[in-house]
Amino acid sequence: MAKPNKDSLKTLSFITYFIILFVFWFILSGYLKTLLLFFGVISVLFVFWMSYRAKALEEDSLPLKIILRLPFYWIWLFKQIFKSGVTTTALIWNGKYSPQLITVKASQKNRTGIANYANAITLTPGTVTIEVDKKIFLVHALSKKLSEDLQTDDMNKVITDLDK
Amino acid sequence: MSYNYIELITLILLAIGCFFILSGSLGLIKLPDVFSRIHAAGLIDTLGSGFIVLALIIYSGFSLLSLKLLLIPIFLIFTSPVTGHAIALFAHESGHKPKGKNKK
Repeated sequence: MAKPNKDSLKTLSFITYFIILFVFWFILSGYLKTLLLFFGVISVLFVFWMSYRAKALEEDSLPLKIILRLPFYWIWLFKQIFKSGVTTTALIWNGKYSPQLITVKASQKNRTGIANYANAITLTPGTVTIEVDKKIFLVHALSKKLSEDLQTDDMNKVITDLDK
Repeated sequence: MSYNYIELITLILLAIGCFFILSGSLGLIKLPDVFSRIHAAGLIDTLGSGFIVLALIIYSGFSLLSLKLLLIPIFLIFTSPVTGHAIALFAHESGHKPKGKNKK
């Protein structure tokens, strides 16, 4: 098997993007007639052309490697969201919150990874990323326990590993 | 009989979702400043809507409709942190200081 070079990887990610867009179109429409499927392909090609023109298809923004790991990562993320959501709910009801600002370091290599980490922090209830300065985040946490959970660096490691 | 079983699960999940939305709304009023209130809004976005959509998926059974329903939380997952971050960043830039150790 030939070593995958840059161009073939790019083609593969284009094909994956096309398939994702077409599946999305099909879920939204649900049509199975040939003519309508043809129109679907045309509209998908139009969206594809527009995202190509907007330079949204560079390799940094379409990482092919992580697509297979993404479902596992989402399941893990849902667990985290649920855990910290329960903590936040308890804090709201019993009123023992003590808001604080902390800084968190990110160890992701590319921009997609950093955005992913910042979004994951904001997505878990109880912590919000306020500012991203290169690789240091300013994070607002609702209580000491939630900020300590973040400072154990588990989430950072998981998201860094996603891109290996 | 199995029909009632599904209805029971739906009911429980809807109740959990409603509870999280209630807690989020309460937090939106009760918490001290802008930054803390974003947490409450995030609670509604993720867990509240998540549980309610999950209940609806189970109720409707597996079909194209449930796939469409599944798209709602997927889009919320991408958009809600962006709005939360935008509000927090703007509040930070315009000089709001988060209330620190002075818990009530």
